[in-house]
Parts: sequence; structure tokens; C-alpha cells
Amino acid sequence: MKEVIATALNAAQLAGASYADVRIVDISSESILVTGGRVEAIEQSSSFGMGVRALVNGAWGFAAASGVSASKASDLAKQAAAIARSSAIVQRGPLRLAELKPETGIWIGSALKDPFDVLLEDKLALLFAADEALRAQAQVSITKASCSCHRFHKWFGSTEGTLTEQSWTETGAGIEAYAVSGGEVVTRSYPNSFGGGWAQAGWEHVEGLGLAEEAPRVAQEAAALLSAAECPRGTCDLIIGGSQMALQVHESVGHPLELDRVLGEEAAFAGTSWVGLGDLGALHYGSDHMTVSADATIPGSLGTFGWDDEGVPAQRELLIDRGMLTGFLSSRETAPEIGRASNGCMRADGWNRIPLVRMTTVSLEPGTWDFDDLVADTEHGLYVETNNSWSIDDRRLNFQFGCEIGWEIENGKLGRMIKMPNYTGITPEFWASCDAVCSEKHWDVWGLANCGKGEPMQVAHVAHGAAPARFRNVAVGVGR
Amino acid sequence: MLSAKDALELAAHAIAFTPADEAEALVSAEQNALTRFANNRINQNVAEQNVTLSVRAIVGRRVGVAGTDRMDERSIKACCDAAVAAARMAPEDPAFPGLPQATAAGAARPSDRAHAGGRGFDAETRAEAVAAMVDAARSHGLTAAGKVRSAVNVLAVANSQGIGAAGAISGIQATVLAAGAGTGWASFLGRDASGFDPAALGIQAADLAIRSANPGTLDAGTYPVVLAPEAVADILDFLAYTGFSAKAYAEERSFMSKHVGDELMSPLVTIFDDAPAPHALGMTFDYEGVPKKRVVLIENGVVRTPVTDSYWAVRTNTENTGHALPAPNQFGPMPLDLEMAAGDATGEELVARVKRGVYVTRFHYVNVEDPIRVTITGMTRDGTFLIEDGRLTRPLKNLRFTQSAIDALRSCTGVSSTRQFVGTEESATLVPTILCEEFAITGQTR
Repeated sequence: MKEVIATALNAAQLAGASYADVRIVDISSESILVTGGRVEAIEQSSSFGMGVRALVNGAWGFAAASGVSASKASDLAKQAAAIARSSAIVQRGPLRLAELKPETGIWIGSALKDPFDVLLEDKLALLFAADEALRAQAQVSITKASCSCHRFHKWFGSTEGTLTEQSWTETGAGIEAYAVSGGEVVTRSYPNSFGGGWAQAGWEHVEGLGLAEEAPRVAQEAAALLSAAECPRGTCDLIIGGSQMALQVHESVGHPLELDRVLGEEAAFAGTSWVGLGDLGALHYGSDHMTVSADATIPGSLGTFGWDDEGVPAQRELLIDRGMLTGFLSSRETAPEIGRASNGCMRADGWNRIPLVRMTTVSLEPGTWDFDDLVADTEHGLYVETNNSWSIDDRRLNFQFGCEIGWEIENGKLGRMIKMPNYTGITPEFWASCDAVCSEKHWDVWGLANCGKGEPMQVAHVAHGAAPARFRNVAVGVGR
Repeated sequence: MLSAKDALELAAHAIAFTPADEAEALVSAEQNALTRFANNRINQNVAEQNVTLSVRAIVGRRVGVAGTDRMDERSIKACCDAAVAAARMAPEDPAFPGLPQATAAGAARPSDRAHAGGRGFDAETRAEAVAAMVDAARSHGLTAAGKVRSAVNVLAVANSQGIGAAGAISGIQATVLAAGAGTGWASFLGRDASGFDPAALGIQAADLAIRSANPGTLDAGTYPVVLAPEAVADILDFLAYTGFSAKAYAEERSFMSKHVGDELMSPLVTIFDDAPAPHALGMTFDYEGVPKKRVVLIENGVVRTPVTDSYWAVRTNTENTGHALPAPNQFGPMPLDLEMAAGDATGEELVARVKRGVYVTRFHYVNVEDPIRVTITGMTRDGTFLIEDGRLTRPLKNLRFTQSAIDALRSCTGVSSTRQFVGTEESATLVPTILCEEFAITGQTR
């Protein structure tokens, strides 16, 4: 691969590039879905290709193709440089990249049991056991048990002398139960909705989820939701469960702190941000219970790597410290705008995409509360779990989330079940109302394998550490 | 780039490589280029060439799928073998009806909807289009962001039952957001560049941005709304996602379930999928190689039939309408060439009918809260206005809505005669501007 990379970089420089980098990516994937006692999908796939990014006359060009060879590398480099020259037709001035010391090395993510070595019949047995346990509940009419795994191998080189090689494995699995009756559909998922629970790990992660053991509870809750109460409309104190807190952080903290969004670079599609450059060190994002970190070094997290796709080493940084904005997620192109070096957040979802500023593991740091104590401390409120729906405006201010399930809280005790509760708020007001975060005992890293951004669309695998947290006076039951 | 003929040969080659009772090969080739711009400059400019092969092998009634983008002989054989190995390991699916047959499906005609203009839209041409849009914004003291994209897609499907279908489509797509004290939006999608006037798009977006400056507030409540085509496309896409599939229908997760023949929407609402139409942008056959049929989903407000594929046609005892997605998929069949029938009004006439309501240019980040009622929530953006006495009187801050799409379309009292393509050439929705008398505004951004 070194020769192919060197060929591409030489060709790019000969074509006039002042900077170029090349990524070669090899991905193997397998997905299995069991539904209603039958196999709906067994799919294996592989993808192998390369992309060259070139900076010519201060403007970017990128070209990519499947397959890897020296001749293809040379052709792509020339094409990327030619595209960059076209980009230079509409420029304001040459862009500059933050300084970076050249990096070399190999990084391998941890995985104990290679999922591609596990027999297909063993995977199917695990999924069928979970699916069967779901189907034991009579009112559940649709069941799903799924698992997936990906193996990534990536080589990166730049004209500045960086040359890195990385490989890692990701696994995910989950179950879903749908109960349908009287023109109504309710859903319950475990360990998370929209793809289950994901980690940078081997098959041991899937085995550790205990899908079959959790299935009876999941199915029972789905059945019970059919006759559960509608979410009351009004304002109350809200305790949000861990996986939903992960998504809350993702949408209302992670995305607005991507520096490319702040600078307007994603304005037409994903949108911009309510946060400005001048807010750094000055904005009270939320209450002093809110400390948020971005960390690409947490073992086992989907947001962990050795270097980002510009060759910047993985690192940890506080984005919000006790409510105060202290950092952004950045890249070599955006970091100079805040006078800093890149904190290594550029990632692409494959060989055929350019890197964008993406979240790593963006976490709400744990607080001190025990969950039972937090409920006991809440006089009148609602506890909600597991995302069902999400929406937020183009500046990441007005959000509305739906959850699969909730329970009323009255006089410090969980009460009757609530079906599909939703809540809404305005980001800074909402985070200012946070008065409690549960402790490390309740804190988990939740992998999200479906973060969309960019055109062409890219799907990033990111993660969020989160524990249940309480917010005061939140509007719930919208549109009910 | 791989031609449709070459792609079909490759698919047939893979079939011959696959030692299974039945086999299907799907070859997809693409040549895409996209120029993005923001802050009045090109910030991303990418080009991609890719070929992928997906093989579905059937052993008895066991099914396995494998895919690859490695096109050397060894990798193709490995892909075919992997599909067979997966099928051998899979349990029997008694409901699997076998792959569709050419005779039953009707011979898929070769189709070439790839326009030469789409093929020749190079980086310099895209940059010149960007420059025209940026100039329109800059001349008004605004900044522009958006994209210009050109694509050619080739698809070939062959199976051991005699199906062999191949075709090519092309698309030119452009969007522009103009931003100052307010924001405005304009977009274009076509098979080629005919009708694409980047300067006019830039002016349209700039005009909306200027009129959107200093937006005001609006109390939550139920209002009449005039929805421009991009917003209508979102509504149709969510009806499709939640309800237009025979799978959702059979599983009683669809609003259509148990309601065929019922009038759930206004008589002004007719929604259909029509890939065979000459003006349609998408492929004329589905991902099983079956010719797509025109399917009326909602006719004058009355629920008709969902779309099917080979599997769900048998499961629902209906005809195969040719709406398969690539196997395997969780969604079942899906309409990718949706249209809402045109009405007889102009957009201005629809606004003129509203005493007090809201005009929406487009939605942002829409999602489903309740699939049976198709209750969706999302925000407006890039041109939201208060309508008073038939006129747009003042801009509004972006609004949150939480609304059943079915109920909204039940209250539809006006449909424009002009329609616009929204989406991409692979899944283009042709939609008018509409007037709905009842639409729930549930919040507003700051």
C-alpha cells in the first residue's frame, strides 16, 4: 500500500497540488436479520477502494474509485488536482491548514473474538433464541432480532509525511417487538432502537448483550404499551434515560459544536449552529451540572481511533466545563478560525467520501446521583426511555424527541406506564434546566451507527457516554 | 464507465458462477460528481466511480446475499460463493416464492434515460453554475451555499429464471440557500440541464432571503398552510416510508391497512407511482428486474393498493407491481417515482384563498412520531411567511409542526397546476404546491 500511496502523492504534487492526502479503505461487513421466526437477511459484503484529496491554488478537489492500483492512484490524483483547479474558480482566498507534525504508525482496535470467525449457525442460534422469546408474548405480532459486524482496514498518507495504518472491528445487535392492535402500533427495543447496541469490539459484545434474556421483558413492555396511558400534555420535570440522553447530547450538543457547521460550511443541508465563534469561553451552554467531553481514546467506543482522516492523533478535550463552552469539534481547515490546532474529528465513511468534522465519543460526564434517589427526589414528573423519533431545527435550537416508553412520577415513585411520550425544548433553556445527572454507576457509552451528514450523504459511527439526567419544567405531550 | 450492456453481461456472468438452485445478480455502476459551496466559495468538490455486484443465491427455499465492489474474476467468484454459503446456512423460508420469472413479469425493455447532457456536466461547468448562483447572492449582500450535482447510474439485473434488464439514468441537481438577515431557497432536479438556470435559481433564493429578514413570532395553533413542492414531497415520502409498502400493509403497520376503498383524504388528492411515464427520471424496472407498473395509491382521496414485489405480491395475493428494493431489505417494496396529481390553481391563487395562515417553502428534519396516523414532526426553514387576507405579509421564525399527514391531506382544498421534481433521479417525487386548511403548528424556534 505504501507504494500506491506514494504514487498518488507524487502524481498529485506533479499536477500542482500544494498538499494532498490519500486514503485506502477495505471494509468487510455481515448483517443478519431474523424476523417472526424466519431469516429475512443474511448479507455479506466487501468494499475496497481509494480516494485522493488535493489542494491546488488554495482549493480542494477529491476523486475516488473502487479498486486499488498504482495506475489508478495516479489517475485519481490527477483528477483530484483538476477538480481542485475548477474549485478555484469560485474562491475567496486560499484556505490554510492548521500545523501538524507528521505521524507514522499502526493502530489496532481491541476485539477479543473475531465476529467473522464465529460460525453462522451460532449467530443464527443466538438470534432465533431471542426472536422466539419475543414471540412468546401473544400480543406481539412483529419481532426482529439482528446482528451486524464490520471490519475496517485503512491506510492514510499525506504529502507532509504522515503514513498510518489502522484496523478495527465493530459489532452491533438488538431486538425489537411490535404490538399492533386497533389501528395502533407500539414498539419496544433493546438495548437501543434504530440498530441496537454497538461497540468497537468483537463477538463478545453481542454475547454480552443477553438478547434472549432481555426478550421476555421487552415483549411484555411492548404488549403493555397497547393499553398504556397517552402522554399528558403540559409541563413537568423530566428524567431522561441513558440511551435517550445519548441522542439528546448528539443532537443538541454534538452537532451544534461541529466547527464546520458553526462556520456555515454545512448551511444548505444539515444547517448551521446557534453557537458562534465568539461564544468560546463566554457562553453558558447549560447549568453547572453539564460537563461534556469529546474523547477518541475510550476503549471499545465507536468514536475511538488512532488518527483521524487527516492524520491528527486521537485525543480528549472538554467541550463544555460545568456549563461553560470551552471547545469545538474541529479539523485542520476549521481549527485556525479559533486559533487552535485540530482536535482530530475529521472522518469519512468510506474510500469514496471526503472527511468531514464528525463527533468522536461526545459524552455528558457523570454526576453524583443514584437513579432511585433521583426519582425519589422528583415530586411530579415523567421518566422516559429509548428513542422513537427525533427532530431539531437547522440551528439546533428547537428540538422534539419521541420515546418508546415512559412512566409517570408522583411523589417520588414511578407510576403508570405512558405510551410514546414526547418532549420539546429550546437547547440552551433546556440544558440550563438540568439539575441532576446520575453517577458513573449508571453511565454507559452508547454507540450510534447512523449519524448522517454531508452531501453525498455519509453515515458516521459515533458514540456518547451518558447517564440518566433530570430537567425541570419541560414541555411534554406535544400534539396529543 | 460501465455501459448498461456491459453491466448486464457482468450480471449474467455472475449468475453462471453461482452454484445454486436459483440465482440473481444485480450490477450497479455510478459516475457521480458533486460540487458543494458555502460562504460564497466552493468548499467541497468530489467525483466518484464505482461498480458493485450483489448476488442472491437460493438453495431450496434458503436465501443468502453477498456483495462486493471488487470486480476481478476471483472476487466475483468469491462473492457468488459467499452468497451460496450463506444460503446453505440459512433456515428454510417456506414463504419464499422463488425468483420472478421473465414470462410472468413481462420482458423488461432496455431503457436508457441517461441524457448526454448529464454525462457531460464536468467540474468546470459545475463551477460556472456555482458562480452564477453565488453572484446572485453576493450582489444583494448575501452569502450562498448549496450544491451542483451530476450523476449517471447504470443498473442491470439478471436471474436464472430468464430475467435480464438493464438501463441507465442521469440527473442534474442543484440547490441554493441564500442567507443574510433571513434565508431563502431554490432547487432544480432534471434528467439533464435543460431548464436549469443557475442565475435564476440564485435570484429566487436571494429574493426569498431578503423577504425573510427580521422574522416574527406566531402562536402555536392550527392554521391553514400553503405548502410549496419541497414540503409536499416530504409528506409524500413519509406516507411511502410508513404506508405505501405491501409489507407494512400486510403487517397492519400502514394507514392503508383495512382501509382500502375508504376516503381518508380530500377528493383533490391523487397519489401514484409512475416510473413508466415518459417524464419519470428513475429506472423502468425494479431491483428484481421486473418492469415497474403505474400504481395508484390514493385516488381522489380514496385508499387504493400498496406497491408490491415478488415476495409481498404472493404474501398479499396481489399482482407484482415491480417495486422491489435491493435484497435483502427490511422495508419491503417501495415506490421510488411518486407523483401527486396536479390541480388547476396557481400558487398565487392558493395564497389568495387564505384569510390568515402560513406559507412554507420547505421543511427540515422531519421524522415520524406515530406511523399509523403518519404523525410527523419537523421544522420549517428558508422562507416561512404569515399569510393575511390572501397576501404574504411578514416573515416568521421557523415553526415546529406536529401533524398527521393523512389529516393534513384530508383538509386539502387546493392543488397547483404546476409541479416540480424533488429528490434525486433515483427517487424523484413530482409534486405541486397545495393548500391544507388544518395544520398544527406546535412551536417556534428562537
